[in-house]
Amino acid sequence: MLARFRELYAYRELLQNLVLRDLKVRYKNSVLGFLWSLLNPLLLMLVFTTVFTVMLPNMTVPKFPVFVLCALLPWNFFNTSVIGSVNSISGNGHLIKKVYFPREVLPISVVLSNFVNLLLAFPVLILFIILFKIPLTIWIIYIPLIMIAEIFFTTGIALIVSSSNVFYRDTGIIMEVIMQAWFFLTPVVYPLEVLPEWRTVLGLAVPVRRLTYILNPMASIIASYRSVLYGYVNGSPPAPPAPDFFLRTIVTALLVFIFGYWFFNRRSHQFGEEI
Amino acid sequence: MPIIQVECVSKYFALRKDKSRSFQEAVLSFFHSHGHRRAPELYGALQNISFSVEAGEMLGIIGTNGSGKSTLLKLLTRIIEPTSGKITVKGRVSALLELGAGFHPELTGRENIYLYGSVLGLKQAQMENRMSEIIKFAELERFIDVPVKFYSSGMYVRLAFAVATSVQPDILLVDEVLAVGDRGFQEKCLERISEMRKQGITIVLISHDLDAIRRMCSRVIWIDQGVMQADGSAELVTTEYLARVHDYEEVKAQAAHLTQRTALIESAAALRQGNIQKPTSDTLHQDEQSVIAACQADEATVMSEAAGPPSKRWGSLEAEITDVLLLDKDGRERHHLLTGEPVTVVIRYTAHEHICQPVFGISFFRSDGMHMCGSNTSTAGIPIEAIEGAGEMEYRIANLPLLEGSYTITAAIHNEDESQVYDYQQCYYPFKVYLGSVKERYGQVYIVGTSWHHHAATAKTLEPGQDAG
Repeated sequence: MLARFRELYAYRELLQNLVLRDLKVRYKNSVLGFLWSLLNPLLLMLVFTTVFTVMLPNMTVPKFPVFVLCALLPWNFFNTSVIGSVNSISGNGHLIKKVYFPREVLPISVVLSNFVNLLLAFPVLILFIILFKIPLTIWIIYIPLIMIAEIFFTTGIALIVSSSNVFYRDTGIIMEVIMQAWFFLTPVVYPLEVLPEWRTVLGLAVPVRRLTYILNPMASIIASYRSVLYGYVNGSPPAPPAPDFFLRTIVTALLVFIFGYWFFNRRSHQFGEEI
Repeated sequence: MPIIQVECVSKYFALRKDKSRSFQEAVLSFFHSHGHRRAPELYGALQNISFSVEAGEMLGIIGTNGSGKSTLLKLLTRIIEPTSGKITVKGRVSALLELGAGFHPELTGRENIYLYGSVLGLKQAQMENRMSEIIKFAELERFIDVPVKFYSSGMYVRLAFAVATSVQPDILLVDEVLAVGDRGFQEKCLERISEMRKQGITIVLISHDLDAIRRMCSRVIWIDQGVMQADGSAELVTTEYLARVHDYEEVKAQAAHLTQRTALIESAAALRQGNIQKPTSDTLHQDEQSVIAACQADEATVMSEAAGPPSKRWGSLEAEITDVLLLDKDGRERHHLLTGEPVTVVIRYTAHEHICQPVFGISFFRSDGMHMCGSNTSTAGIPIEAIEGAGEMEYRIANLPLLEGSYTITAAIHNEDESQVYDYQQCYYPFKVYLGSVKERYGQVYIVGTSWHHHAATAKTLEPGQDAG
């Protein structure tokens, strides 16, 4: 596996070119291209704010727009990366069948170009934080670490779905459903705190909140972003995530990445003849 | 140390019949055929191939279509991996596979040049230095900033060739690039390839153009149905290959000739049933055509050809041509001949009654319908008193003057002034001619007994040039 990483490093120029190509195609012929890409999260923020503060006023979360936006941006990064990488191998047959290069470059480039997007959107989030008079604390230094954890986790998933789609062409359809469900299972539009500690399902006592953390790495990642940028729903200011919790988040992300890489490379040598 | 080392490499493809292409199918087939999973049928594209290439060598790979040449090249590029065996390739490999270099259709020519460069590990700056040279070679000055999806196939191939050869590879792999582009560009490509060879770049070339292979490659590998047949000097291997192709075609042609003899009997019966003096029935015509088509469908055929002129038969059949054979100097029946070799045409006939002063005629037609030459016993001044019963008429050619191509023989028996046609078989007997040792390739015919002589203005007469005939 180390040899694979070294080879990937040797192809960094290609990776860079692919990311640039991706961004270029996305913002092509549109001066407002970048602003368009901001429109989606901002609009969603508006919708969720309307739904949860005007239509469902029971749930009281202070400064809801910031609350939702600081989770929505990382979620969007994850979501678009996964959906975008599904076709990154099968849609690039013209390259795969003609030249050799480490195939993982393709899904990784999708993740990285979406990450650039996230970085570009971040100043807008900071602006909202300032507008809503949430204190910008020193804990913002955690952001790069959280981002790296999210990149690793996202790449792991991207590697799995992109190689799976080569052999099972309905992966994309399945992933759309899964991502939809995943969105609601992740505390993006609601605080984790509203989840009950325990709930009896079919006669079994289920620790809902704990399970969400353990089974859903995205929940931990989103919660980390939120705790250092927004704070907590009870009004307490931003604080660093608990060390053991944060460490577990990073380890989980790395494990998913390593599994994804292994899963991808187990089959990647067949891509040339399968596409 | 060799730059390319291929050790006992085999490649099998699954001719999948029952593999699921989606999760949905996977789940369904789990419930339907649980426990009845068949092993996938395997197709051996390459079997136990071993060879090595030294740095700076130029290797040609030949073989009929479907023999595994392209699979081998893909294995060398690492696009696919061998089922068993080991391949070691050292250095940067640039490849032109199936006439493409891996372009993104949405990007412009220029962007694709950068992309291809970075796939092969070249820096943006390095590509910038080569940009103008690539554009000039590909003759795409006006179109370089247009997305390649709008390119014509010629433009696409030109760009692919220009890029693949401009990235300073250690190894260049080319799959049949000489098949496209106009003559001028083909020559430019060949020139570029030999230039790269001089620079010491290792080149592996697949081509059906045996002439080009002979001219350029020092060594040739011949693969047939996934098995290595020969590995040696270009001259030796291509000659062996051609001999095999001819043998193979000869066998097929003989089978076709056999079918034709049966058809001749049927057509004679049809003629006797009252359609005398008329062209043969359509059904026979179709049979005949399908035999010829079957012959020509074979992809091993070196020449490209169109279906020949339609064959027809008419006559009163008092005398009947039962067969026409081509014999070589050893008296063996042949359907594939070499330009310049001695040939005997034999007309077998049966005269059902006593016929006085018959005239035998023979003509050669090229597949495009051009009447190449012909003769009959009357114009040749060979009077034949009478024929009765079975017999043979021989027409001997000391040096076959026909150049490479597909031909048919027309044979006829009629009376002195052609007022009575006994049997006229137009374009009935197909055969092919290959150049062999004769190098002449221009025009329609090969003139036998020619020689060149040079008389310089001041110097004495030089030795006469040799005569190929």
